Amino acid sequence: MKMKTILKTTAGLFGVAVALALVLSGSVAAQAKEIKLLNVSYDPTRELYQDFNAAFAKYWKDKTGDTLKIEQSHGGSGKQARAVIDGLEADIVTLALAYDVDAIAEKARLLPADWQKRLPNNSSPYTSTIVFLVRKGNPKGIKDWDDLVKSEVKIIPANPKTSGAARWTYLAAWGYALKKNGGDEAKAKEFVTKFYKNVPVLDTGARGATTTFVQRGIGDVLVGWENEAILSLAESGKGEFEIVWPSLSILAEPPVAVIDKNAKRRGTEAVAKAYLEYLYTPEGQEIAAKRHYRPRNAEIAAKYAADFPKLELFTIDEVFGGWQKAQKAHFGEGGSFDKIQNSQR
Amino acid sequence: MKLTTIIAAGLIIAAQLGITAARAQTSEVDVNALLQRIQELEQKVKAIELEKKVESSEPTPKATASVPPVEPNVIRELDQKIRVLERNQELTAEAVEARAKETPRLTVGSGGFALSSADTNFVLKLRGLVQIDTRTFIDDNSASIGNDGFVVRRARPIIEGTVYRDFDFLLTPDLSGSAATLVDAWVNYRYRPELQFRIGKMKGPVGLENLQADSVGSFNERSMVSALVPVRNIGFQLGGDIGGGVASYALGVYNGAGDARNPANNDFNDAKEYAGRLFLQPFKKSSLAGLQGLGFGVGGSYADVTSNVNGLPNTTGGTLPGFVTSGLQQFFAYNPAAGAVTADGVHWRLSPQGYYYYGPFGLLGEYVVSDQGVLNTTSQARANLAQTAWQVSAQWVLTGESASFTGITPQRAFDPRNGKWGAWQLVARYAQLDIDDDTFGSFANPLTSARSAQGWSVGLNWWLNRNIRVLTSYSRTTFDGGGGAGATAPAAVTQQPEEAFLTRVQLSF
Repeated sequence: MKMKTILKTTAGLFGVAVALALVLSGSVAAQAKEIKLLNVSYDPTRELYQDFNAAFAKYWKDKTGDTLKIEQSHGGSGKQARAVIDGLEADIVTLALAYDVDAIAEKARLLPADWQKRLPNNSSPYTSTIVFLVRKGNPKGIKDWDDLVKSEVKIIPANPKTSGAARWTYLAAWGYALKKNGGDEAKAKEFVTKFYKNVPVLDTGARGATTTFVQRGIGDVLVGWENEAILSLAESGKGEFEIVWPSLSILAEPPVAVIDKNAKRRGTEAVAKAYLEYLYTPEGQEIAAKRHYRPRNAEIAAKYAADFPKLELFTIDEVFGGWQKAQKAHFGEGGSFDKIQNSQR
Repeated sequence: MKLTTIIAAGLIIAAQLGITAARAQTSEVDVNALLQRIQELEQKVKAIELEKKVESSEPTPKATASVPPVEPNVIRELDQKIRVLERNQELTAEAVEARAKETPRLTVGSGGFALSSADTNFVLKLRGLVQIDTRTFIDDNSASIGNDGFVVRRARPIIEGTVYRDFDFLLTPDLSGSAATLVDAWVNYRYRPELQFRIGKMKGPVGLENLQADSVGSFNERSMVSALVPVRNIGFQLGGDIGGGVASYALGVYNGAGDARNPANNDFNDAKEYAGRLFLQPFKKSSLAGLQGLGFGVGGSYADVTSNVNGLPNTTGGTLPGFVTSGLQQFFAYNPAAGAVTADGVHWRLSPQGYYYYGPFGLLGEYVVSDQGVLNTTSQARANLAQTAWQVSAQWVLTGESASFTGITPQRAFDPRNGKWGAWQLVARYAQLDIDDDTFGSFANPLTSARSAQGWSVGLNWWLNRNIRVLTSYSRTTFDGGGGAGATAPAAVTQQPEEAFLTRVQLSF
């Protein structure tokens, strides 16, 4: 009898204990209603996502009542992808090129291989291209790609080994040379070799290259993102720079994706998905356009047409057969970029 | 003057470093060497500037006229080369810094030796615990003489760490006995602080004093309360801290172990022990400083044991299962006049417990009832015996450091040359263990085994630093019952009160 009484007491105490634990757990969860989201992005998107995050957080608060705290991480696209593969718990990636997201899917299996089909336009809500930013008055008279390989011109791109913008730049130069030389790969390689011979500094990311050119005053021309060039133009304020749109460039499609396994583990699947979908809304498209990315939405594109001159653009699929092939041929170990670098040592 | 500086620096750098060949490759340039080189070059530039000042102040118009004019494009070119050099140096420094961030770290300090990956997702720590005791029994009787001496109480190399960020492990052997024993061997998965899964050999959740680390206890030996809970258990445990430690809980299924036992590493019994604990520190996160250190809770266990002698208490201090004093002398044993005793039937424990720490003061109290079904294998007599114990211990840190459940961190580590003497802690304890009256007769001999023991202890502990500690204490334990003739425990122990003077020198890191 005594034992039963004590056992009942024990059971009761445990019941109270478990209930109390659940209540406390619930109260902690209730206090922590704030949702954290980590967007791992590439170098020059800081301003874009600062604006976008504020807009989306408001939208989400109005819709659900939840408070969103969106953290951003920026760096060279390749480095960022590596960080996610190595365990950086991104809910979302907004990188410079699809290959980097493919790498996350392939090496870390954090999202399915067909991730690019989940959102419109190959999961690329905005585009950009590669242009030239020159100093006031364009002292070296740079008008097109051919002007960049003249011996007296110093070019500032980023490093294709670590930067998405730099890979787009490399491929734009290669694609231009191919077209000019009737598809002659050898001549294209010769052209790109000359291009990199004129490079005095290779930064790891696009923003670093902008710093080198704009703030450190190094080089005659910054070759990189159109959005970054327009931003530099806007921020310089004194007409210190000019943008040169070449005759031909590449259609850069920066992709976005939810990192499924991270989002599931962190309980952010729904908000992460909504975040990316919001990029395609007129509000999201307008923010992208204001931050100098070419919007996909036709109406918004028409509204900002004056900011984005029309130029002939080729896609990576058309000229290189897609990112996997381009990566293997040009940027992998022993690829053409390595050979070009080695030839110049 | 600025132009002159640029020209001079450019010329010198071009000459010294062969700048014409400088390119933007990721070089293996030694940054320190480069910095030193630049400092040298800056000094040379200053010297040239000084020389030019002197020249310009001298009335030698012919010499001044002989300096050829410098073309603006040459100046621009030199300026660019200097800027490129500086930028590449910056990038090299960034690369070196980035590589440093990825380099594994070796940490050596009072917390032990640790190796960790740069992101701390993988950690390996080597720690250790060595305790060398002396035991001196004052005025002990002729039967007990021979108990005084030095003892290697614990000698434990401790290996702990983390793999893949969320998986912790602990491996603790003990080399102090005649044969090495395994004390801890578990793997813990931290899903979140509130939800953790542990499997292996570990401390069970029942006793509060038992959960305190061996390296920080107030006395050489735990009180008689801990004689009624298992030292370790093997099984699976779910636990965690809620609200940053405001509440903590543990629930588990284990092989089960007798009181004060460290169980064998395997088990040949289907009966399992279920145990749990809830502990609350409701004011831990509040602004009420006087209540932040208040904690209380309850632990309990339940098992249905089938004829298992290992389900009875430890045999320390004797040859049969029983209970011991602060001097580890057995004052009670399951020693019936006829037959042998084994655990058989339901075994449950309940332990309300609590502590309070405020500034240098600390108080810890606990009560345990261990109710066990037992069987005399000869007479087939059965009973459920409720053994109970309680204890209260207090401490006061004389040197002002904060007392806590996890020990003291001396503010002034021992360094006599600089007048620093570590931390000093005054401790006191009272404990009592009562044997169920139904025990005597069929399961224990009332002539030799005590019906209860009451012990009080006082001590003075010296924490030289975080790694070295010296303990001294005096304990007196009195007994009710027992005291009959006999030259071995428990009779020899219960014939008179036990007075023990214990010391310890401890190394823990």
